[in-house]
Amino acid sequence: MRPTLAIGLLLLSASFYGQEGLGPKGPVVKMAPAPLLTVRRGKSATEPLSFRVSSGYHINSNRPKSEFLIPTTLKVDATTDIVIGKTTYPDGQDMSFPFAPDEKLNVYTGDFEVDVLVRPLRDVQVGKYVVRGILKYQACDHAACYPPKQLPVTFDVKIVKGAPAPGKNPAQSPHAHR
Amino acid sequence: MKRNPLILVFIGAVVAAMLFAGIHIARKNRVAAAPGQLIGQTAPDFELQSLEGKTVKLSDFRGKAVLLNFWATYCGPCKIEMPWFVEMQKEFGPQGFQIIGVAMDDASTEDIAKFAKEMGVNYPILLGKESVGDSYGGVGVLPTTFFVDRGGRITAREFGLQSRSVFVDNIKRALGQGQAVQARR
Repeated sequence: MRPTLAIGLLLLSASFYGQEGLGPKGPVVKMAPAPLLTVRRGKSATEPLSFRVSSGYHINSNRPKSEFLIPTTLKVDATTDIVIGKTTYPDGQDMSFPFAPDEKLNVYTGDFEVDVLVRPLRDVQVGKYVVRGILKYQACDHAACYPPKQLPVTFDVKIVKGAPAPGKNPAQSPHAHR
Repeated sequence: MKRNPLILVFIGAVVAAMLFAGIHIARKNRVAAAPGQLIGQTAPDFELQSLEGKTVKLSDFRGKAVLLNFWATYCGPCKIEMPWFVEMQKEFGPQGFQIIGVAMDDASTEDIAKFAKEMGVNYPILLGKESVGDSYGGVGVLPTTFFVDRGGRITAREFGLQSRSVFVDNIKRALGQGQAVQARR
């Protein structure tokens, strides 16, 4: 029976071959686990989000040098009780590539960090919240480019008691907690 | 030597399931042909809008050798090829050669037209659709270029930026093979 089983296995595995390796095998950009952000009600804190661009690839910075290039952007959504403030992007590196040796592109390679300012309202219920977002990027390597991608981003925010809101009843948040 | 018939039936069922799964997946893969598998096949026909709003079919160019270039405005390597294509269209056009650019990005028609104008493009630019890319095995890499002979068969495909000589060789082959195909008819 063993040869038959082996033939079956070969047939099964052979069906996965013949597909050529087109582009990156996995996501070009990965996010490191985000640290838990502890923040007092009514106060601001910054969540550092760390990303890594796979070796051999680059993505446009948030401020690429051409109107035709797609910038890297992070869009974050949170409950209405948590205000998402300014998103700070790092400066890209000016680099030239074999496909355009005379042109400098402003890109991210390797590790980069995007900072997100988070400010829970004064009357938000204390507890742990999940903040979600999407990192949009468009990657290239030395000889080809790949369609724009979206990387889901999540981080946890722990809201602790801060200074009580003057003259306000501690409101119950309508939003579900984790 | 005695064997438990239940074990034999079980092994037989496992082998049959694996064979079925293998054949099913192989068939599925054939439907969504990988670009390499398209070589020698008739180039899938399509109908797309040009920047000028005209409906253009690939089959409109039957009888000509065609370089079908999938590109995007955000693609730096694509930008390098375009001036070469302009020259190649001039050089090989009189021999029955046509370049067709298919823009595979989300940019507006105006932006694509502006880009094409800046590059001095002298060949039709069509507004791409994912379904057309899929019929060519999925365009996950830009630029992706297919070479089609006069008989409408794909003779070669290239992923990413290639040297100019690679394009010229493939164009000559598409022109030559096309003539051979026609001669046989």
